Amino acid sequence: MSVIERNHVQTRGGGSRAMVFAHGFGCDQNMWRFVAPAFEGDFRTVLFDHVGAGRSDLAAYDAVKYGSLSGYADDLVEIGRELGLRGGVFVGHSVSAMIGVLASLKAPEMFESLVLVGPSPRYIDDGEYIGGFTATEIDELLASLDDNHMGWSATMAPVIMSNPDRPELSDELTNSFCRTDPEIAKAFAKVTFTSDNRADLPKVTARTLVLQCRDDIIASEEVGRYVNEQLPNSQLVVLEASGHCPNLSAPQQVVAAIRDFV
Amino acid sequence: MMIVASTAAPGPTEDLDDLYENAPCGYLSIQPDGRIVKVNRTLANWMGVPAQQLLGKRLRDLLNTAGRIFYETHFAPLLRMQGYFNEVALDLIKADGTKLPVLANSMERRAEDGTLLFTRVTLFQAVERRRYERELVDARAAADAAGAAMQTELDTERQDAELREQFIAVLGHDLRNPLASINAAARLLRKEPQNDKAIELLDLMQGSVSRMSGLIDNVLDFARGRLGGGMGLNRAVQPLEPVLTQVVEELRSIYLGRKINAMFKLETNIDCDVGRIGQLTSNLIANALAYGAPKEPIRVSASISDGLLEIWIANGGDPIPAEAQESLFLPFFRGERKSGREGLGLGLHIASEIARAHGGELVVRSDPMETRFTFTMPVASKTADI
Repeated sequence: MSVIERNHVQTRGGGSRAMVFAHGFGCDQNMWRFVAPAFEGDFRTVLFDHVGAGRSDLAAYDAVKYGSLSGYADDLVEIGRELGLRGGVFVGHSVSAMIGVLASLKAPEMFESLVLVGPSPRYIDDGEYIGGFTATEIDELLASLDDNHMGWSATMAPVIMSNPDRPELSDELTNSFCRTDPEIAKAFAKVTFTSDNRADLPKVTARTLVLQCRDDIIASEEVGRYVNEQLPNSQLVVLEASGHCPNLSAPQQVVAAIRDFV
Repeated sequence: MMIVASTAAPGPTEDLDDLYENAPCGYLSIQPDGRIVKVNRTLANWMGVPAQQLLGKRLRDLLNTAGRIFYETHFAPLLRMQGYFNEVALDLIKADGTKLPVLANSMERRAEDGTLLFTRVTLFQAVERRRYERELVDARAAADAAGAAMQTELDTERQDAELREQFIAVLGHDLRNPLASINAAARLLRKEPQNDKAIELLDLMQGSVSRMSGLIDNVLDFARGRLGGGMGLNRAVQPLEPVLTQVVEELRSIYLGRKINAMFKLETNIDCDVGRIGQLTSNLIANALAYGAPKEPIRVSASISDGLLEIWIANGGDPIPAEAQESLFLPFFRGERKSGREGLGLGLHIASEIARAHGGELVVRSDPMETRFTFTMPVASKTADI
């Protein structure tokens, strides 16, 4: 199976530069459906699903490889190499912001610019650093995935049974872009919420835009400012949008900010 | 002329305000900025606070940490993407800090120009359902654990069995050496002048050595078969009759009191492992000697007709019960023995394995007249022409 199939990579548009969009924890590349089309005129847009999400190849899921964000970053670099990307723009939401940071350290030539939407290098508080969650709260989240996983799986599991060849099952496909295999969801939650990439931020050489929402409980403004300070060549834009997904709730603002930046 | 009257009985009309406030489910409405603007009494009662206190809060303020994260990362995007979500499992945190498991449906209400007006959420208590789901999860975990334990047990059993069979193979091999010494010693003694009593004892000794040697062969073959080595055959086109004659002679010399009549008509060479066919014949005759009526002769026949080699061994005596015939060729099967000689119950099993390895078959027919084991195997016409 090729990298393109494994990560369900979709390229559109015709610019000479590439803009790669990476989705965060929870959903798949559909997260960018209100944003990516705006750049198809000037850029070659690249969308993909992380292994374990969306229409990626679930059989390619390897608990060891994807037990750290580095495994996801390796996939991103592989996709970039496969497409021959150089000097492109990377746009990563949520946990994919850090995946992009790691990929840019592994392959600095690939991305000239990084756009980090709602980034957090560490979700758990640590001394002076306020990540937004206590270790206990994250433990509870992970535990609730263990003993309450039926609740999530009831809404998320059926995608693996959905069959695109049978249109009469199309009702089954509603909610599908947020569904994933419960075991993989659990593992992805763990790697997302327990990772610590603070030390990687000062090493980034690409110019960076941090897009921060107001009132984001997953990645607070404080965290956004921290990321902006730690990155050597970075600017911060606070969007007039609330929640963790401005790519859905305020796509015009996201598009405008990215356009100004690139 | 008939007048059709309304059939509805007069009664109180439904009060929609009351239906909203006291519906058998919780309602809340959220402004575009995420703040709760309206909530019904049912939900307020569930939460244990006046409805007024819930206004201005966000839905996520009513949830536990896990629910909050999942709401932000999964359900809010879903709502934005498809305009609704259904059957989402959430835990509300009540005023007293306890959890209330609910199922939530939600739908956006938009104006004609597409502007979001409200997001409406309906909540249903799901305490029992959640408990049932958790029991299912627990049951599945328990089943998985039991399956894993069983697999471990099975693996251990398999290893034990392998060890046992290796042990048998080693044992069988080591038993041959002392037996060979005994045999050599007996042969040397026979060359010295001996009295009649001593010769009789030497006969007995050598008979026992021969029988023991056959038993060890069977054990080794069995263990080898079980260890995956299979029944090794040294096939060659060669005469079979001399080997069969030798087998019969050997057994005659051991069982002096028994009559063995042999009729061999094998004019051609046969493509087979003659040693193995000899072992098969020897096992079948030994079986007839052990179970047949001592007074009646044992008849052995070998012939070729219609491209088939057929060897049969027949004895008189009580027939083999029908139910025993089914398990006769299984390893370690032993019938009721009259002679008091104990075997391992491997002879017939090995014989049937030899038959199978040659692409032939071994069958038994037993009635009050006689018990007859018949081995047949196809013989290539080219070899039959020689």
